Amino acid sequence: MKTRILLPLAGAALLAVTGCRTSMNSIENAQKTGQRQMISDSRVITDGSLAKKVSFVGVNQTMTPGGFLKIQIELLNRKHSLQRFSYQFEWFDANGMQINNIVSPTVPDEIEGGESKFISSVAPTSACKDFRVKFIEN
Amino acid sequence: MKKYILLSIMTAALPLVFVGCATKAHYIQTGGRESLVTVNSINIQDFIQAANDATSDLLASGVLDKVANPPAVLAISRIVNNTGQQIDTDLLTKKIRVALLNSGKAQTTTTMGLGGTAEDPMAKGLQQEAEFKSDQKATRTPDFTLSGKIIQTIAKDGNTSQSTFSFQLSLTDAKNGLAVWEGEKEITKQGGRPSVGF
Repeated sequence: MKTRILLPLAGAALLAVTGCRTSMNSIENAQKTGQRQMISDSRVITDGSLAKKVSFVGVNQTMTPGGFLKIQIELLNRKHSLQRFSYQFEWFDANGMQINNIVSPTVPDEIEGGESKFISSVAPTSACKDFRVKFIEN
Repeated sequence: MKKYILLSIMTAALPLVFVGCATKAHYIQTGGRESLVTVNSINIQDFIQAANDATSDLLASGVLDKVANPPAVLAISRIVNNTGQQIDTDLLTKKIRVALLNSGKAQTTTTMGLGGTAEDPMAKGLQQEAEFKSDQKATRTPDFTLSGKIIQTIAKDGNTSQSTFSFQLSLTDAKNGLAVWEGEKEITKQGGRPSVGF
């Protein structure tokens, strides 16, 4: 009787562990031509669970030809399973005032196990000098 | 004894099950995480995301900076809806227009429209009147036209259905008819049909 109950349970547990397991290999050129302009960042972590799974590798910025600030953030999934999260960019002017942006979506995204991924955004106006990105686990 | 405990737990939980299903009307952030997601239709968050991607890409391209008299003037051309849903394409174009205007890089004409129809007939009338009185052409010809298409691709496998919405946009130079910027944003949604429904 016990075996009849335990066997399906063990099967389900095995599926749970292995079924969602993903990992990613990658290859890139070793001698880089482009130089990323990395910037120092300030982090506020209130969801330790998400931070353990998806970590911030670094932030780099550039200016577009039209004079808009462009931000790129590198993320790394430290787990071996797909992680889903949402993020939203906020932009601030030289006085630290938030700039109202009609098209500022909460972007749903996902990252495979072990994957390194970039997310980026362009400031809505040339007056944007600073930014903040909010992350939340889905 | 066990029966009594189980019975009392179930009795206590039963009202919770029914009460829990009722959602009191409340406000949520437009396009936020609480927004409803439906597989077979374009939700408001999809329009916001598509408009944001198009605007960011367009601003980053620097195309709008290449006009002789900045800011660039835009005219909205046809946005074809090739989805199974009836949509107002202004949900996409208006967001792009507002964002471009706020960026200071482009303005949209409201006195020129597809087939000679002005978005703002009163403004067109006043403009024509001013032109007649001063005997000078006051209308600035648009530098670019914005056109596009929204396409839906459906896939089904068993109880799982999937929809991909492609938002395709082209910015054409009005002088030579060449597309100087093109953007495409694809949003894919997947969901299962509930096996039990209330």
